[in-house]
Amino acid sequence: MPGIEYLLEALTPFNIMLALGGVIAGTIIGSLPGLTATMAVAVLVPITFSMPPASALILMGAIYTGAIYGGAYAAILLNTPGTPSAIATTFDGFPMAKRGDGDLAVTLACLASVAGGLVGAAFLLGLAPPLAKVALAFGPVEYFWLAVFGLTLISALSEGNLLKGLIGACFGLLLSSIGIAEISADVRFTFGSQVLLGGIETVSALIGLYCVPVLIDLVATPDRHLKVTHQPKGFRLIEALAISWKYKFNLVRSSVIGTLVGILPGAGGSIAGLVAYSEARRVSKRSEHFGTGEPEGVQATESANNATVGGGFIPTLVLGIPGTPPDAVILGALLIQGVRTGPNLFTEEGSIVYTFIYGLFLATILMLPVGLVIGRYAYKIIITVPKAMLVPTVAFMTMIGTFSIRNSVSDVIIMITLGVIGWILNRAGYSPSPIVLGLILGRIAEQGFVQAWTIGAATDELAAMFFGRPISLAIIAFIGLSLFYPLIRSRWTGRRRKVNAD
Amino acid sequence: MQTDHTENVVERDFGGMVTAAVFILVAVVALWDTTNMVDADSFVFPRAVAIAMIIFCMLLIAWGLIRPIPGDGEASAPGASTTRRVSLVAAMLGSTALMPWLGFLISGFAAFVSIMLIAMYDEWTPFRKLVYPLVCAAFVVGFYFLFAELLLVPLPIGGLFE
Repeated sequence: MPGIEYLLEALTPFNIMLALGGVIAGTIIGSLPGLTATMAVAVLVPITFSMPPASALILMGAIYTGAIYGGAYAAILLNTPGTPSAIATTFDGFPMAKRGDGDLAVTLACLASVAGGLVGAAFLLGLAPPLAKVALAFGPVEYFWLAVFGLTLISALSEGNLLKGLIGACFGLLLSSIGIAEISADVRFTFGSQVLLGGIETVSALIGLYCVPVLIDLVATPDRHLKVTHQPKGFRLIEALAISWKYKFNLVRSSVIGTLVGILPGAGGSIAGLVAYSEARRVSKRSEHFGTGEPEGVQATESANNATVGGGFIPTLVLGIPGTPPDAVILGALLIQGVRTGPNLFTEEGSIVYTFIYGLFLATILMLPVGLVIGRYAYKIIITVPKAMLVPTVAFMTMIGTFSIRNSVSDVIIMITLGVIGWILNRAGYSPSPIVLGLILGRIAEQGFVQAWTIGAATDELAAMFFGRPISLAIIAFIGLSLFYPLIRSRWTGRRRKVNAD
Repeated sequence: MQTDHTENVVERDFGGMVTAAVFILVAVVALWDTTNMVDADSFVFPRAVAIAMIIFCMLLIAWGLIRPIPGDGEASAPGASTTRRVSLVAAMLGSTALMPWLGFLISGFAAFVSIMLIAMYDEWTPFRKLVYPLVCAAFVVGFYFLFAELLLVPLPIGGLFE
């Protein structure tokens, strides 16, 4: 275990101030729809150039961790994921807020984010070099199966009608194909429009599909946005702690999943959240309540997405391969600082790396008071602001947030159009979540499939390519479990009941 | 004598079936577009997805016709205003369309004010008449400053002012 001198180095007043400031800035930026953790880190990177490398890393890590957590506010209170990592938070967070438990959901999300962040940082501290090998073991076919595993969530998100969920997912997959194909560079489904050449931007689509239907319904009646069953008193921390303790295994499992997914280059918090949610639902005794405001769902997603922060740093620091998009920005900043990442970094530049890791622990712990306070005010604002102010504020934020992603007016038009389509589909019983799932996982699935197919065909080992690799087989087993476990469990429960009755 | 007709009414998920028919059309257009692609890497995936989508849609329609089940779509709240809904979408789309000419500041302000009027259900008291426009202006200018100056997002200035 690295020495205490690095811990003391991380605890200088300057580093504490940076960690606190970074968490606050990250949380606020992350809570605004359209502003992602990558953008939060990228915008604030220039500030770090004049700092010592360890302090710079602490600031960037704090911004990153804060931004990932901040995405939960908009997901819970507005049904709009502030960052893509918070997509699965909307599944249960918003129903909780609608029934009057928004404050509890925000506090639960904060506790889960802190727990996930600490687990991720602990893996980074203790197991970084061996775990970095996992990143290298993942080839295109493993990414393909991982995306398929994510798609099995459709059965959970279809709200009773699996066919509609599958149709929605196909629609999302087709949307993900629009633009220039990544492998062959063919132009697909643009119908001559230059606007569509760049494809459908995922975050814009998320904002449109989740937030615009809420605005359309919000404006139609004078009713309040969220039901208020009690006057907001405190943080409901004791209640949230009790729930967190009750579902502690879910918290640990989701955090470990988040860390492992974070290690995979390019996978990121959204995939981590979806996989953790899927697993939490599969294992839970209350799986039928998922999607209707189940605290375990919020807990799983939020712990997993914050665990990707520590997990993502593992390949970034050990191999120089960024685990998540914000890690790529941080890697660039480190190179400017003259820090050479690689397997020897932990031995040759231990003072930088270990000071940073302790700084990450510090920032994650500071996220608890910061997150609770900001969350409480966010909740109070949402329930007290008059509708005539709330609707234009949220609408304006969706427009400016969407524009800022690619500086494109067309993206704003696409976002609003998708929102209207999402609203119409909602009326016909099609949930937006399978569409979003298809949109996000489509690119990963297609790229992985085509690359694996090409390699398999070239080596004349197509079947072995898809079904002969140990990690692939493990993921395929999880896919089977995810699809058939509810059936197996209900049969097993039925048989036990019959035996007991006899 | 009154007759209860409700027992004879067969509820079907017409919304779901009509939407599935539209999705079939979307998939057919996608399939047609893939015929222009020359590289198998480009068309294999979308073609497979489009075919799967057509099959799922046909199953849904067939299922809806054979076993009538009521629609599971989100019901509209009683007394919900369609005019306000359409106005909201029109305000958002209109202000966005005008953005390249009027710039983000003016079109954003126009969007904010119009949506505020659309979402207004309370009485316009003198306090609200004074405070709401001020809050509106402060919010738009504040966010414009945050994005344009601090986050360095190149928000459109507007063709009319260049």
